[in-house]
Amino acid sequence: MDMIFFVVFMAVFAGMFTLLGYLGYKKTKTAEDYFVAGRKMGAIVIAFSYGATFISAVALIGFSGIASVYGHSILWLAFLNVFVGIFIAFVFYGFRTRKMGLSLNAMTLPELLGNRFNSTRLQATSGLIIAVFMVAYASAVFLAIASLFQVTFGIPYQTCVILFTVIVGLYLIVGGLYAVMWTHAVQGILMLVGMLILTIGVYAMLGGVGPAHEATAALTPDVLSSIGSPAATQAPNGLTSMPPFLSKPFMMVLTLIFGVGIGVLAQPQLITRYLTAKNEKALRLAVPYGGIFILLMTFTAFSIGPLCNALMVNNGIMYPTKIVAGTAVANPDAVVPVIVNELFPQWFIVVFLFAILAAAMSTASALFHTAGASIGRDVYEKGLKKECSHKKSILITRIATIIIIIATLIITLNPIDVVAFMCAFFFGLMACTFLAPYTLMLYWKKTSRTGAWAGMLGGFIFTMLWYILVYFKTAPNIIGTSIISEYTVNMLDPLFIGVPLSFLLTYIFSVAIKQDKDEHKTVEKAFENI
Amino acid sequence: MGLILGMDIWVFAAWIGTILATILCLLYGFYNYFIKKSEEEPSKEKNKYFWEKEAK
Repeated sequence: MDMIFFVVFMAVFAGMFTLLGYLGYKKTKTAEDYFVAGRKMGAIVIAFSYGATFISAVALIGFSGIASVYGHSILWLAFLNVFVGIFIAFVFYGFRTRKMGLSLNAMTLPELLGNRFNSTRLQATSGLIIAVFMVAYASAVFLAIASLFQVTFGIPYQTCVILFTVIVGLYLIVGGLYAVMWTHAVQGILMLVGMLILTIGVYAMLGGVGPAHEATAALTPDVLSSIGSPAATQAPNGLTSMPPFLSKPFMMVLTLIFGVGIGVLAQPQLITRYLTAKNEKALRLAVPYGGIFILLMTFTAFSIGPLCNALMVNNGIMYPTKIVAGTAVANPDAVVPVIVNELFPQWFIVVFLFAILAAAMSTASALFHTAGASIGRDVYEKGLKKECSHKKSILITRIATIIIIIATLIITLNPIDVVAFMCAFFFGLMACTFLAPYTLMLYWKKTSRTGAWAGMLGGFIFTMLWYILVYFKTAPNIIGTSIISEYTVNMLDPLFIGVPLSFLLTYIFSVAIKQDKDEHKTVEKAFENI
Repeated sequence: MGLILGMDIWVFAAWIGTILATILCLLYGFYNYFIKKSEEEPSKEKNKYFWEKEAK
């Protein structure tokens, strides 16, 4: 029965996305069509594509699980996702990015940086950084979803990975960003339906919003221990209260909230969405759609995580575990799938799994597209070859995308620990590397090429060193132990120091080494429409 | 400390803050759709391929 559901849904998925891929292919005539969907996208498609790219399977399953451990304090991330991830992002970054992108004919973040600072080397270097880390991120997305399907349907992991990668690769390479954004709209609707039913179902089982929260607040450490929930120790003030100030759980929540909540502003795959808008009004109207989409994704996911503890207690379900080095440890990633499997009807299990698959596919396709464009257009075409026709530009990027997809496939089929670390790096690394030069480029005319190089490389090097030497999750796995034992320091996301440092470096070097004549001319052009 | 809707004051602040942030997004869309007059769009043709032209 499960297999029949899987085959039918998969066939519908593949058929629909292949059709959208073909339609995208028919519309893709120029490089602008392939890279930024001809700059013709409307508000709803932009909002859904931005949201579906932003919210991956990791966000839905992983962060719900984290909320089941640390409680509703994670809701601060939902607040930042809507306020910073949508409102601030679109209003303070989106419009200027689009106008500057139009003035400088830029179609990717590295190209925007390269053209604004008159440097193909800057473009190629940033393209390379993005591509390398995006492969790891995309690999982690497929790894998570393939594992979930393997457990539910009993389909071999390798088959799942190959199947999902081929479907995404097919419509992306053929249809370019048109296909990616149209499929995002379809995938976004499926994600909305899945999360809405799940949330309503969980709250209904616990008697509504107030009673559900009260039942969760009433769970004592003893009760939580009886089902094996790590919340017994990680949510010392209860699941609906903030952890004690500067305690380890507090630091964990703090680093998660700011790492993802602020890091979103400098994600290259999201910045591309601003460049696809057909006019400024489309971007302005994408704000309410995006706000509602993110609310219905993250607010729901983070709200139900802690409630799963109450459901497990009420229904005699044990907190899921996994075996690590021969020992059973709590597995937060499995909390929501376990609740869905145990307490929801069969038809919803399939809907939910495909909603999660849609979340994974939408994020992966956006990552592949951005990474392919980074290697094809930013590194090879602009960095090495310098001059290219439109048709050749698309061809080069398609080949680069195929290489990226194959690399992701190989890594996902042979998962190594470093991939998980690189995925964990991603948001923080992108923010520390690009946020300062990107922000100052948009708002401060005196930002110079040297300043951009200093901010970008300074932020990048600092972040890598922080993850290797200090950060509590990564340093012990790389060098054995963190060089700073104080947990209020080693639990901090590098973003807390890396972003201010990058801003400082960009400013100091821009003041110290000013723009040359060519740069000055480019700046005038870049700000012409702003 | 008393709970609001089963949440402590800081968690409730995040809860209500998320809803208010969404309302802000909705009001922004409402304002731009119904009240604000549209601005002149930058000419796409005027700017197109500036970079290539400059390079030549």
